Amino acid sequence: MSNPQYKPCGTVDHRIARRQFMGEFFTGLGVTGLGVTGLGVTAGTSLFSHPLGASQVAKAGKSVVVVYLNGGVSQFESWDPKSDLQTGGPFKSIATSVPGIHVSELIPHTAKQMHHMALIRSISTDLDDHALSNNIVRSGRTTRSATEYPELGAVVAKGLERADFPLPGHITTMLGGIGGRSNNAAYLGPRYASVAVGAEKGGIVNSQLPDGMSVQVDSRRHDWRRFVNSQHRSKVQSAEIDAYAQSYEQALRLMEKRDLFDISREPEAYQQAYGKTEFGKQMLLARRLVEQEVPFIEIQHGGWDFHHNNFEFHLHYVADFDRPFAHFIADLSQRGLLERTLVIVMTEFGRTPTINAGYGRDHYPKAWSIALAGSGIQHGAVIGSTDAKGVEVTERKVDHRHLFHTYLRAVGIDSSGEFEVAGRKFPIADPAFGPIEELLA
Amino acid sequence: MSFPNPANLASTDPPTKQPDELPRFDPVGAKPLADWEHASKLLCCRVDPTGTYVVAGGIDQAIQRWHIATGSKTTLLGHENWVRTLGFSPDGQRLYSGGYDGRWIAWDIASEVPKPLKVVDAHRGWLRGLAVSPDGQRIVTCGNDRLVKLWSADDGRQIQQWSTEPNIPYCTLFAPSSDPTHSGDILCGDVVGNVYHWTHPRAELLRKFDATELFFHIGDIAPFGGIINMAFSPDGKQLTVVGLHQCTNAPAGNRRAVAMSFDWQTGQKGLKQECLKKELDATLWRGLYHSSGTLIGILEKEIAFWNSGSHDVFHLVTTPSEIFDCDLHPNQIDLYTAHFDGHVRSTRLGSL
Repeated sequence: MSNPQYKPCGTVDHRIARRQFMGEFFTGLGVTGLGVTGLGVTAGTSLFSHPLGASQVAKAGKSVVVVYLNGGVSQFESWDPKSDLQTGGPFKSIATSVPGIHVSELIPHTAKQMHHMALIRSISTDLDDHALSNNIVRSGRTTRSATEYPELGAVVAKGLERADFPLPGHITTMLGGIGGRSNNAAYLGPRYASVAVGAEKGGIVNSQLPDGMSVQVDSRRHDWRRFVNSQHRSKVQSAEIDAYAQSYEQALRLMEKRDLFDISREPEAYQQAYGKTEFGKQMLLARRLVEQEVPFIEIQHGGWDFHHNNFEFHLHYVADFDRPFAHFIADLSQRGLLERTLVIVMTEFGRTPTINAGYGRDHYPKAWSIALAGSGIQHGAVIGSTDAKGVEVTERKVDHRHLFHTYLRAVGIDSSGEFEVAGRKFPIADPAFGPIEELLA
Repeated sequence: MSFPNPANLASTDPPTKQPDELPRFDPVGAKPLADWEHASKLLCCRVDPTGTYVVAGGIDQAIQRWHIATGSKTTLLGHENWVRTLGFSPDGQRLYSGGYDGRWIAWDIASEVPKPLKVVDAHRGWLRGLAVSPDGQRIVTCGNDRLVKLWSADDGRQIQQWSTEPNIPYCTLFAPSSDPTHSGDILCGDVVGNVYHWTHPRAELLRKFDATELFFHIGDIAPFGGIINMAFSPDGKQLTVVGLHQCTNAPAGNRRAVAMSFDWQTGQKGLKQECLKKELDATLWRGLYHSSGTLIGILEKEIAFWNSGSHDVFHLVTTPSEIFDCDLHPNQIDLYTAHFDGHVRSTRLGSL
């Protein structure tokens, strides 16, 4: 897969030199890792496991991109196809770019990128409710509360934070809609919660000044807001107020970057290559955000909960996913971005081996799969396996807690470390678990 | 409704009675006749035109042939994926099967253990629909490659093909022909509710029927519904397409079964027929006409009956398991159904 108009100036030396400069510049200012709520890393437990230390990893400008297949993609019709007559379904397996690894015939384009990827086929969790499973796979904890622990995006945004970074560190892309900030950072505070950015032709939705308002007038408005805020802030100490103030400033910086979200600025050939579907556009937007070194980007691809008509729907849904996703991986690789980007194809659980009477598959947390690509992992690896019918994990059972550690370690965040928030220490990931070491590069 | 054990059935109540011994057609008096068990889910079934065999295909990639009089079962192997559709030549000598492997296979159905006579790799991706022409000379198939293909039934040679791009075709049918030497025009229904009418042998697209009310787009990604099956009324004046409508949550299967008819001459849309008597999340997987003009349909576990011109069903027969295909015995009184639980059941649609 190639981008005909892309002529990268992508030598390794060039990239390292630029990032070293930027990183040293910020480190020299002494602002790395500081947040408005007074967050810091506990002394003696380095946040970063990279042998060169925290500042070096911060320079690396790593990103995590989560493609969330909301509703529960079938492992049979994607990463772990089976030929069993009663459970396997009507789709065959195909070879990939890694000898010996086969995936569903529904992902022929992604199959060609398998040499950049790894599969985990032995995930076993115990919740089959969408909301609860969403919580655990996103937080890496066994919890029934959606707000108890920060989600992966918040942890990564905090862990890979760079001071004065002009964009939010935790972005959920959306096409259309007005966007907004979610409540998924728990004790890390709203600074690290996801910002849903609605993109349209011309940039971010609602990011233009109202008709009749000049830049000068707008600037004076903000000066007045800052003045009033600082007056109030001198009397009242509140992390919430600080977060609001920070959100305003972040929004202003985001408005200055509105062009970044305008994918119509991409050459037509790129837009065609990603596909002009909603998902294709979001993947192209994600690539633009990776280029800007946004720490965490999530793209949602929803509606995979096929209790009915599973095979017909997967035929279309997986095809909708396959080409844009594969092109995204190839594009990142070609631009030299994949080596600093971890891509996770996440979902909340798998689907049953049993085919129900509506020719659907129901929720199945007992044995399911995800795929990873890019930074920090062994490419071409397959972790674990399931039996011939796809009913049981037969080798290397892992769960959401192992995965959470693994994601963080893959981008250089020491998942055994702790966050310190307002004097309290919080383990970054569940301390009773660890990463899938053999998957890490 | 309980179905008798087939082992007892064959000796006590053979379903191949002579027509003068058969009850009159009366679905309200329907009763279970036979129940043949198989170990795997079944997707399709047909009764051969001589009334000797019932055949059924399923997800175990095999076709089961039951001898109706004795209940003896023979397995036909040749497909390499789910067997989706079946059809007989008018003389009952040839069975044609189509599968998710993209193949159609011709079988000598009367042989002791039928072997494939002809295997044709017809479509890239699933073969979805197959029909045999009234004169037995032609086969028409359609598949996920968005092609409709006309074949010589005799030697498997492709004669013609049409594209339904960008939509996937779902089912095919030959129009009735008053000329016994004429194969009939070709119809194809697609997943978004179009019915294409191509003339034969000139292969021109004559017209399209619009049944897009039977189609839903899920998340701008996947079609849901479309033309699941088609049938002509006994007088050939009405084309009836079947499927689903009123979809409220496709991934959960919330929809209602429906049949929609068109005047064959004018193309004018006629009555919609639904099941209002009982609320069912269902697709009408097949509709077929009894010679009396009664429309018979299968939806979930129910066999439904509509009088000509009636909006709602006048009777439902509940079976033990979801039904995915059905066929009438040539005696016009016994209905055979292929079930999700692997059984083929027959129901006698009347009483003495």
